[in-house]
Amino acid sequence: MSQWLASVIDPYYQQVLMLVGIYIIAALGLNLITGLCGQLTFGHAAFLSIGAYTAAILTRNFHMPFLASLILGGLMAALFGILLGIPVLKLTGDYLGIATLGFGEIVRVAFTNMKITGGAIGLAAIPRASNLVNVTIFVILAVAAAVLLENSRFGRALKAIREDEIAAGAMGINAMWYKIQAFGIGCFLAGISGGFYAHMLQYLNPNDFGFLKSFEILNFVVLGGLGSIPGTIVGTTVLTLAPEFLRFVQEYRMMIYGLLLVLMMIFRPNGLLGGVNFRRLLRRRKQKATALSS
Amino acid sequence: MLLQQIINGLTLGATYALIALGYTMVYGIIQLINFAHGDIYMIGAFIGVAAVALFHQNFFLTLTTAMLACVVLGVTIERVAYRPLRRAPRLNLLITTIGVSIFLETFMTVLKGPQPTGFPPVLKNVTLRVGTLEFSSIQMVILLVSVALMVGLQFIVKYTKIGKAMRAASEDYDTASLMGININRVISFTFAIGSALAAAGGVLVGIYFNSVSPYMGVTAGLKAFVAAVLGGIGNIPGAMLGGLLLGLAEVFGVAAGFSTYKDAIAFTLLIIILLVRPTGLLGRPIQRKV
Amino acid sequence: MKKYKVALVLLSVLLMIALVAGCGGKTGTSGGGENKGGASGDTIKIGFMGALTGNEASYGIETLKGMKMAAEDLNKEGGVLGKKIEIVESDHGSKQTEAAAVVQKMISKDRVVAIVGDPTTGKTKLAAPICQQNKVVLLSAGAVGPGVVELGDYIFRDTLLDAVAAPAVTDYLVNKLGWKKVAIVTSTNNDYSVGLTKIFEGALAKHNAQIVDRESIQDGDQDFSAQVTRIKQAKPDGIIFTGYYTEGGLFMKEVRKQGLDLKMAGGDGLLSPVLWKLGGDAVEGSMVYTGFAADPANAAPQTKEFIKKYQAANDNKLPDMFSAQGYDAVMLLAKAMKEANSTDPSKFKDALAKTRDYPGVSGTLTFLPNREPVKSPVYLLEVKNQQFSIKAALPTEAPKA
Repeated sequence: MSQWLASVIDPYYQQVLMLVGIYIIAALGLNLITGLCGQLTFGHAAFLSIGAYTAAILTRNFHMPFLASLILGGLMAALFGILLGIPVLKLTGDYLGIATLGFGEIVRVAFTNMKITGGAIGLAAIPRASNLVNVTIFVILAVAAAVLLENSRFGRALKAIREDEIAAGAMGINAMWYKIQAFGIGCFLAGISGGFYAHMLQYLNPNDFGFLKSFEILNFVVLGGLGSIPGTIVGTTVLTLAPEFLRFVQEYRMMIYGLLLVLMMIFRPNGLLGGVNFRRLLRRRKQKATALSS
Repeated sequence: MLLQQIINGLTLGATYALIALGYTMVYGIIQLINFAHGDIYMIGAFIGVAAVALFHQNFFLTLTTAMLACVVLGVTIERVAYRPLRRAPRLNLLITTIGVSIFLETFMTVLKGPQPTGFPPVLKNVTLRVGTLEFSSIQMVILLVSVALMVGLQFIVKYTKIGKAMRAASEDYDTASLMGININRVISFTFAIGSALAAAGGVLVGIYFNSVSPYMGVTAGLKAFVAAVLGGIGNIPGAMLGGLLLGLAEVFGVAAGFSTYKDAIAFTLLIIILLVRPTGLLGRPIQRKV
Repeated sequence: MKKYKVALVLLSVLLMIALVAGCGGKTGTSGGGENKGGASGDTIKIGFMGALTGNEASYGIETLKGMKMAAEDLNKEGGVLGKKIEIVESDHGSKQTEAAAVVQKMISKDRVVAIVGDPTTGKTKLAAPICQQNKVVLLSAGAVGPGVVELGDYIFRDTLLDAVAAPAVTDYLVNKLGWKKVAIVTSTNNDYSVGLTKIFEGALAKHNAQIVDRESIQDGDQDFSAQVTRIKQAKPDGIIFTGYYTEGGLFMKEVRKQGLDLKMAGGDGLLSPVLWKLGGDAVEGSMVYTGFAADPANAAPQTKEFIKKYQAANDNKLPDMFSAQGYDAVMLLAKAMKEANSTDPSKFKDALAKTRDYPGVSGTLTFLPNREPVKSPVYLLEVKNQQFSIKAALPTEAPKA
């Protein structure tokens, strides 16, 4: 299987594409929390690292099958997400962002001081189990789930909370309960993404999951267009490939990246695909179809 | 020993407080967490190094040069990058500040290299002994300069016309502009003062630790921000209090042997405060506008 | 609620399908295509892995300089097995994810037969499985931490290991300088420092020296007042500092600020002029050990030659450990290829593992049966008037495996 893949797609491109896929899974989770439900979080990388370490330790030390440990990693991240969410989601706006940022840093320090995670030395010799095939399958799954969620009653409730939490409450939506669910699902996706990340790089280090990584994922989502699933996919792809394509500008790379962020925000405040309404395009087709059938 | 650690903590806390003031004032008026604020502090420190190395200035001239240069920088950044987004979604503005922060850090790295540079000597360090207590004269200078700056700030905010305008703007931005207050000027002024204080902090820290590097603003900025939230974001005395408390908490945490968890101390304190008193120690309760 | 439930059901069903499908593909195999590259043309490609930008750039830039000098020297003599050596450069900007991409790129696109790098232990561990699976030799010219060569039989390093050097240095500190009571300072978010502290602790115990105080710092810290105040209470004879030069310089400054007359000793993490740029007079007398000392007066002939060439090319600057080890790394690979009479990594890796008493420019090197390098001597340097000068050359013993 993998031999055949290597003959079709160059392993280097496989690696880069895998990274894009892995980040898409994480970004979809963040899009659910921030884009759909309007809850600011600056600690997404922490849940990535919880999933990554959980999955890695399970396959490496306990020889569990990869997919089982991947899902357990996701569940572990979701559990921490819910445990953090219950007290913290009472906070609104920036205060929530600040609290999650703090949590992210606490997780990083904890991993640096734990024995089982290898502390600052990091965790090496993780078996390589991520490949383009299983990452792609999961990306398709995650996208399908995200689309379904967004267009369900659940998704509509989240949007109501985003627009006006007090009004949503008055309409009988239990905002707290929905917010915790959204946070749990978002963190689950981050955990899955982390598990793939660990089994692709085969080495984990706590310093790789600082708050800068959280902001990187937030940039994916905002650049693509907050709350838009196609936007999230495009934003992630563009920003993940950018460093690879910008290799020729060497040390000015990050300077250009910073400038791009600022310019993007000024000239396309709603993201790359913001304002492009896919749902309206789809709905039009549906309306046509229903019109025809009636 | 105890007194010694208290002095260590207050010195560290004073530098946090200086940076925290800028966060708090900007937040108080336009509800923006300016993530590039830590980098203004970093650039202030670099300008301080240049001022000593190139112009052989004395301490006070160095301090004022760095402060003035950062005033220009802070106001320019606000004009160019933040003002066009004032009516845009808040998250966009936040990402913009991150973009500016990345830009400034990389710019300095390209200019100066990633390695930290030392701070050329401007102040003689004399060890002062009072009984068994020893503290360095530099620590004293930091404490005195910080206190002087904070008193000056309080004076501006309380007794000058522009200070009144700042308070009005933080009370209610739109109404203030209806009352004939030039909001753009107030915001520029706020950025100017915040940047000047951050630059002062940068120069003092640079002298105290004799090290200036392009990434020094990341952790310091984050910690100062925590300090601002602790005291109650938008509240000026709160930022000072928060800074000093955080400095003491960290130094005592290290003294008690928790140095590996030093960064976690600040953030744990932050989360606890947010859950118990979301508006911080001195902040006013959040008004929910329906 | 219906669609939401449908979504969850769909997710779980697809997970089951993925589980079944995933079990077909075995873990641990990846695109291990035969690597016949590099030697097919008329050049032999050796990859450089390291940072030319970001916070680890200073190591990478020097390693690459050494590698290029070696390639030039080899090509002047007609290359290796009649082919020219070509160094493939790539910068990962000190970032983990990019490091993985860069290694993969050099192997599959540039078809290198060997990679020299990474100067840091962490990223060497990241590159090791990729190189092992693709059957490409990885020779690190900088990694000193534990658990590197264990990652596979294609993985090597040509550094002076702390496990070899630190015991020799400890012996000198305890028995020659009379350090019976020691305070040890570790940077807890720095893997090199955490590993080195463990080695020093073991060595100190063996020499019956007492650790009277353990202090922790973090890379990036600037305020060490609390730690130094505690060291003051413990009254040690000396400080062993296992972190990097930035924090080392600042730490000593704080030590002098608080009026302590103690000296610091540490590993080559302290080996940089930045140490006195930040520490000033406070680091005078600080001791640093290294496998390579650019001391034209006492160096071996091949080292003298190297220093001369390096200075000619770099307006009289002296080379450091990284450039010397980068030079040696390429030379070791070339020697192994000649001996194996092949540019196939699966053949010349065995010749490389057999290296004994190789007179490199960074010291004499032997690979143990487990492929760990042993180098001799270890130099203990001392800061004197803002210069490193040799205090002692200490013989090393192979660690008992």
